[in-house]
Amino acid sequence: MSRDKVAKRPKLAREGAGGRFRYFLERALLNIRQNLLVNLITVGTISLAFLILSLFLLLYVNLERVTENWSDRVQVAAYFDRELSPGEIASLSGKIRAIEGTAGVTYISRQEALKRFSGRLKGQESLLNGVTPDILPSSLEIRLKRDSRDSDSITTYVSRLKKIPEITEVQYGEEWVRRFTDFLNLVRFIGALVGGFLVLAVVFIVANTIKLTIFSRKDELELMGLVGATRWFIKAPFLIEGILQGVTGVAVSILVLSGVYMAFLHNADILISFNPMLSGLLFLPIEYLAALLAGGAALGFLGSLASLKRFISL
Amino acid sequence: MIQLHNVYMSYQRDAAALSSITMKVSKGEFVFLTGVSGAGKSTLMKLLYGALKPTRGQVVIDGINVTKLPPSQIPYLRRKVGVVFQDFKLLPNRTVLENVALTLEVLGWSKKDINKRVYHLLKQVGLEHKINTTPLRLSGGEQQRVAMARALVNEPKIILADEPTGNLDEASKDQVLAILKEANIKGSTVVVATHDRRLIDSCHKRIIVLDKGHIVEDADVSG
Ligand SMILES: Nc1ncnc2c1ncn2[C@@H]1O[C@H](COP(=O)(O)OP(=O)(O)O)[C@@H](O)[C@H]1O
Ligand SMILES: [Mg+2]
Repeated sequence: MSRDKVAKRPKLAREGAGGRFRYFLERALLNIRQNLLVNLITVGTISLAFLILSLFLLLYVNLERVTENWSDRVQVAAYFDRELSPGEIASLSGKIRAIEGTAGVTYISRQEALKRFSGRLKGQESLLNGVTPDILPSSLEIRLKRDSRDSDSITTYVSRLKKIPEITEVQYGEEWVRRFTDFLNLVRFIGALVGGFLVLAVVFIVANTIKLTIFSRKDELELMGLVGATRWFIKAPFLIEGILQGVTGVAVSILVLSGVYMAFLHNADILISFNPMLSGLLFLPIEYLAALLAGGAALGFLGSLASLKRFISL
Repeated sequence: MIQLHNVYMSYQRDAAALSSITMKVSKGEFVFLTGVSGAGKSTLMKLLYGALKPTRGQVVIDGINVTKLPPSQIPYLRRKVGVVFQDFKLLPNRTVLENVALTLEVLGWSKKDINKRVYHLLKQVGLEHKINTTPLRLSGGEQQRVAMARALVNEPKIILADEPTGNLDEASKDQVLAILKEANIKGSTVVVATHDRRLIDSCHKRIIVLDKGHIVEDADVSG
């Protein structure tokens, strides 16, 4: 009987994980083509949502960068009670460099100190007539690494510095540092708040858009189950589709963002930038772009996974 | 091939759609399931392909106890059972070829084998010239035959057809019946749910009559 025909089963061309994945990928691409309008709407929505998020990120990253640049002013000066020999200064510098958070140490001799001082009195140098270098103390000027420039880190740093016996006095703009730290924290807090809110909004919008696209195909999901597809066989193309939608949406948003950046932002001055070197915005760093793409992929995948659960009973 | 033992099925608590159903369909049989609308025909069919689980009793299909089947195993039951749904359930945005191919894709067949086999089946139901058309451009009778091709394409052990002649003209009904008989001759066990008396009278087969969820008659008139 003809049952024998089935017994001689045609070969399964999609054996192995690779063949299977290729089938699912082809299926996903075909699905996208066959549901083009729905897919365009989904991708459009995802890119709009991510455009808002990445625009915010762009502004935030630049704001934070400018704020952090202010901290270049943070300097610690260490004084000693007597003049040190070059050998002593070298060994002292070595000790200071060994302290965690040190970015660099410069020796400021008495002559150097006087030169700087007179530099600040431009036009009124005559005030210094007759002044010899030995009225000003020599010192070591210490620059700190970026992540050691907040109040707490500096306090810790200074207390370590003071343990070095040759150093009798340490100066830094304590008040300024504290206010700077408070401001930076405020910027970060507001950034996290707005950013967190935007991320939630994006997750909500994307998840719901995907839910709608999957809902519009619930007949297909049901039918696949009825003709004997296993749960993962039904899900896999939809999950791939979700990932593709997420990645495409984010890619489009990045393209639009870079277009906007090229057109308007790359030479726009930031009002709060006091440093003339920093006029113009920087584009998002590559890690941020990668994170956005990964986020789009994850959101597409998880959004599809969550929505599929509701329509597949197997 | 199909065995039901003391099966009860109720959607709501107090109203039973099926009561104390005990029946047996042997391999290779052709059975009509009949009764007025609302008698429970569709409900009984759904029990046979695992779309519903009985409230009580046992349903055994080709040695598989459907009642105890975990959801993850239901696909393997459904691969043995080709179902022609009352509402066809064709996917409107896929071609006739793609609709029929689904049954084989699920089994992991290669594209080449699928195309060959689907073409063969469509030729058998007289639709090979519509292979790249979408279902919405087909007549009711043609859609019905596509739905049948999809159910038959993997030569399932069991074929279930729910009101397969529902809104069709006489010529289409004859075609549908001929296709089902052919599949039966090739070895499939066939169960047809219908309230179409003329269809039943046109061939001498076993008839199971349902009324308000009970089997009131089980007559083998093929004699
Ligand atoms: N999904 C459902 N929910 C609740 N009751 C249902 C459902 N499907 C069918 N019924 C009821 O079960 C009974 C049998 O229905 P059905 O099996 O569709 O009959 P038939 O196919 O013989 O016309 C009817 O009383 C119907 O109202
Ligand atoms: Mg019915």
